[in-house]
Amino acid sequence: MTALPTLDPTRPTSRPAPAGHPLVGAVAAEWTKLWSVRSTWWTLVAALVTMAATAAQLAIYAVNANTDDDPTVDPGVLPVGDVVAGSLELTHFVVLALGLFAITSEFATGTIRTTLRCTPSRGRVLAAKALVVGAVTFGVGLLLGGVGAAVARPVLGEWGRAPLGGTVADIVACAGYLALVSVLALGLAAALRGPVLTLTVLLALLYIVPLSLQEPDLTVLTRIADAFPGVAGGHFLAGDTEPYPAAVGLLLLAGWAAAALAGGRWALARRDA
Amino acid sequence: MITLRGLTKRFGGVTAVDDLTVEIRPGQVTGFLGPNGAGKSTTMRMVLGLDRPTSGAALVNGRAYRTLRHPLYEVGALLDATGVHPARSGVAHLRAMARSNGVPARRVAEVLDLVGLDTRAAGKPGRALSLGMGQRLGIAGALLGDPPVLLLDEPVNGLDPDGVRWIRGFTRRLADEGRTVLISSHLMSEMQQTADRVVVLGRGRLVADAPLAELIATRPAASIRVRGPEPAALAALGDRLAAEGATVTAGHGGLSVAGSTADRVGDLAYELGVRLHELTAVAPSLEEAFLELTAASVEYVAGPTGGETR
Repeated sequence: MTALPTLDPTRPTSRPAPAGHPLVGAVAAEWTKLWSVRSTWWTLVAALVTMAATAAQLAIYAVNANTDDDPTVDPGVLPVGDVVAGSLELTHFVVLALGLFAITSEFATGTIRTTLRCTPSRGRVLAAKALVVGAVTFGVGLLLGGVGAAVARPVLGEWGRAPLGGTVADIVACAGYLALVSVLALGLAAALRGPVLTLTVLLALLYIVPLSLQEPDLTVLTRIADAFPGVAGGHFLAGDTEPYPAAVGLLLLAGWAAAALAGGRWALARRDA
Repeated sequence: MITLRGLTKRFGGVTAVDDLTVEIRPGQVTGFLGPNGAGKSTTMRMVLGLDRPTSGAALVNGRAYRTLRHPLYEVGALLDATGVHPARSGVAHLRAMARSNGVPARRVAEVLDLVGLDTRAAGKPGRALSLGMGQRLGIAGALLGDPPVLLLDEPVNGLDPDGVRWIRGFTRRLADEGRTVLISSHLMSEMQQTADRVVVLGRGRLVADAPLAELIATRPAASIRVRGPEPAALAALGDRLAAEGATVTAGHGGLSVAGSTADRVGDLAYELGVRLHELTAVAPSLEEAFLELTAASVEYVAGPTGGETR
């Protein structure tokens, strides 16, 4: 048995704290926690399978549309980046689970109490989680983009093209989109606590509300829908110039993620753990 | 040093902790006592910055926990729920904790060794840990930063006798090293073995804050239990004792005598020719003193509502 360092009664009540900013430690702890549960790995496998399957399916659709009897719907020769971006519609739900469960699992298992004891600053805890979730989902996005492109290219055959620069830019955009949507999920989950409620609100923000707004085809409502994170992300991924430049779509999505984090921080600071 | 100043916590209309002002000093084991629901855990959670006080303050070494940058170096805690993710191994749990505060990685092995957990047990996922292993893992986590202040919430819960003895010796050692050690329990008898000082809560209010020895001194006086096969003879003995100034109560097929000694009762019985089957000096346990203390507080607080809530 190792002897415990002996303390004398005159020991100072406050000991020299280790050097280094506590945010660095908080990030390291979040990283360790993320990779020490198997569900993270299964999520990655699920995301890869979903991406490969969806990219293949979308590529087959594109080829079929180009070779059927109705030339008016021909998409023509597609860049693989389009297929990859289209595949995200489904795949991003698997990826954003990483952001969602990074905090809902802590509430469900009580580990949040351990986390907050180690890092009492609520803002710091959430910042560390956002950095880790953002970085990991960005990396996963790059990997998924590569897999999607690799699957889509041969399936598209003569109907596809993969210019190196354009494809890389598309893949990076997909990764950025996934990172921001995952951080949005994290912030919402921190505020709402439960995974089901969080997912419901996410679905509403990404699809249900904007789709309902677009339905009547009224300009005002459509403009409002354009401000929602899912639509903004879509405009960004598509590289649109209308209704706003792609960069604005990215900024809007980032704004949503930041707002969700702010809300999550507020809720964490206010509520008892 | 833990300082509670007018600490109050209300959940809706229920006051869980009521204007608590106490100082928990270093170098001794302080028992934090009270029946279940007295507000012990809520108080500890407020000290750890997990629950926000409705009013008042809970300070550790003069600072609010939420302002600490590397809290594991200042305060170690074991909460009722150890807070291990069911799918994460104990080692990974400790490693994450250590990293969060810049505690060197080798310290994880050290604290596991200290609490007597081998690598096989610590490698198990949280869901596979027994209650006893979970408690040991929780204490290992509390010791990571070698902190001068330790809070242990019901540490002996679910432990086997071996584990209980280990906790007693261990907390003793920690206090002897000059640390502030606060241990909560709803069992007075447990504290009788370990604590130097006790802080007693009843319905969220401070009922007692005194050295254990003082509390023992103020407990109800010892009594003598007398049993015999001849009720009439026993009654005569009782009368004689009462005449000498002792307080005698009949019951349990015998007498209970206060204000006398076993020697005196035995001598008198011999003198009167009373057959005895039992003559026992009964030292009332601290448990009784404790129950008396908290019962009073319950009555007091429950007064107007008639004690319907509990």
